[in-house]
Amino acid sequence: MDYGQPNLADRLAAEYVTGMLRGPARRRFEKLLPAHPGLRGAVRAWQDRLMPLTAEITPQRPSPAVWQRIEAKIQGAVPMPEPWWRRLAFWRGFSAIGTAVAVGLALLVVSPGPVQPPIVVVLSAAAPPPGSPEGVVAPASFIASISPDGRAMVTKPLVNVSMEAGRSLELWSLPPQGAPRSLGLIAPDKATVVQRGKVLEGTTGFAVSLEPAGGSPTGAPTGPILYVGKLL
Amino acid sequence: MPEPENKPKTRSKSAPASDWSDRSVELSALLSRAGLGDRASFATLYERTSAHLLGVVLRIQRDRALAEDILQEVYVNVWRAAASFDAAQSQPLTWLTSVARNRAIDSLRRAHVQPQLQTNLSASSDESEETNVYDAVADEAPGPLELLSRASDARALGTCMENLTAQQRQSVALAFFDGLSHSEVADAMREPLGTVKSWVRRALMSLKSCLEAAVQRDANRSSASP
Repeated sequence: MDYGQPNLADRLAAEYVTGMLRGPARRRFEKLLPAHPGLRGAVRAWQDRLMPLTAEITPQRPSPAVWQRIEAKIQGAVPMPEPWWRRLAFWRGFSAIGTAVAVGLALLVVSPGPVQPPIVVVLSAAAPPPGSPEGVVAPASFIASISPDGRAMVTKPLVNVSMEAGRSLELWSLPPQGAPRSLGLIAPDKATVVQRGKVLEGTTGFAVSLEPAGGSPTGAPTGPILYVGKLL
Repeated sequence: MPEPENKPKTRSKSAPASDWSDRSVELSALLSRAGLGDRASFATLYERTSAHLLGVVLRIQRDRALAEDILQEVYVNVWRAAASFDAAQSQPLTWLTSVARNRAIDSLRRAHVQPQLQTNLSASSDESEETNVYDAVADEAPGPLELLSRASDARALGTCMENLTAQQRQSVALAFFDGLSHSEVADAMREPLGTVKSWVRRALMSLKSCLEAAVQRDANRSSASP
């Protein structure tokens, strides 16, 4: 079957979303999704069309035990736990590159007499889990370099990041608890100087999210988290 | 942050607002924070959405213990995948509901729990016959057709639903709300499988073009107003 054929893709997507595609056919269809952006788009469109119908279904409050079981399961499990640490260790292997970049950035950030080196945070790609939006952004990583006093910060992509038009990358500082703070937009293709005052204060790490052009409309990240890095 | 439950119903300037999209702004923020490991936001997300999702799951998987297991699995997965949610691509409630429905449908395959159906359906084209056909099925819960018409009240979807024939509507409702397969719908409606398949297919295509036209009208209207 030619799944690139729009009519067939649309019909299958419709039957998948209504739930009429069953058994082996359903599983086959699900296996195809990751590799076929057209199919994924068709599925999303049908979900948008049909899911609001469920708004009229009488809500049923789950028993308290359900939340307790969920809580127990996610205890200690941070979303994207693996990539965060593993990839950090991975990047440390490239310390030569890191140092070179850091030195370059140090000159850029604190021009006269840069005795203290800047703090360098490597932001590595948060793993795109299955079913994540189609290849909007190629896997790539950023280096964030912060002046020792935390007053200036520069981000620099290590690889070229390709992005759809009309989207922006937004940088966030992660406090130990509560909502992330926006540090503004950063360029996907060149160094960005971020000046937000004390970026290190109460910050445990940084994250970059994909947002509509101009940044998050809500003040909180609305897009997927693409890169994360922890302050060591 | 405004609580959608307490917020008076307001219309947004550009497009006709439904609760569905009103809620999505807040739910997007909660999901994104959950994606960064904020458990409190995740707990709030659960609080705001779990009753809806369980309602949806229970229509398909009627065994409550199994339905609650599904709900648990769904939220554990949502916690893990929250960072990948993209509010620009889909509404959070649409995403959550889709995930929950998928799990519920998969559970039917495993457990072979057939929804209890009345088979006294005569598929007549007479529109009046569709009323209350499924009331006996769902006890006091609204039947799939009633859900369709209620949902329709809330959205532009209503006009599009009205364009369908009675059989088209019945078949889509049975499939979508109660998770019946093509052949189960055919059994329930006492119609040949091929006939039911073509009803569903035509119904979905008609819905699609009608909804696309409605979206287009909305877009024209909002671009016309300042």
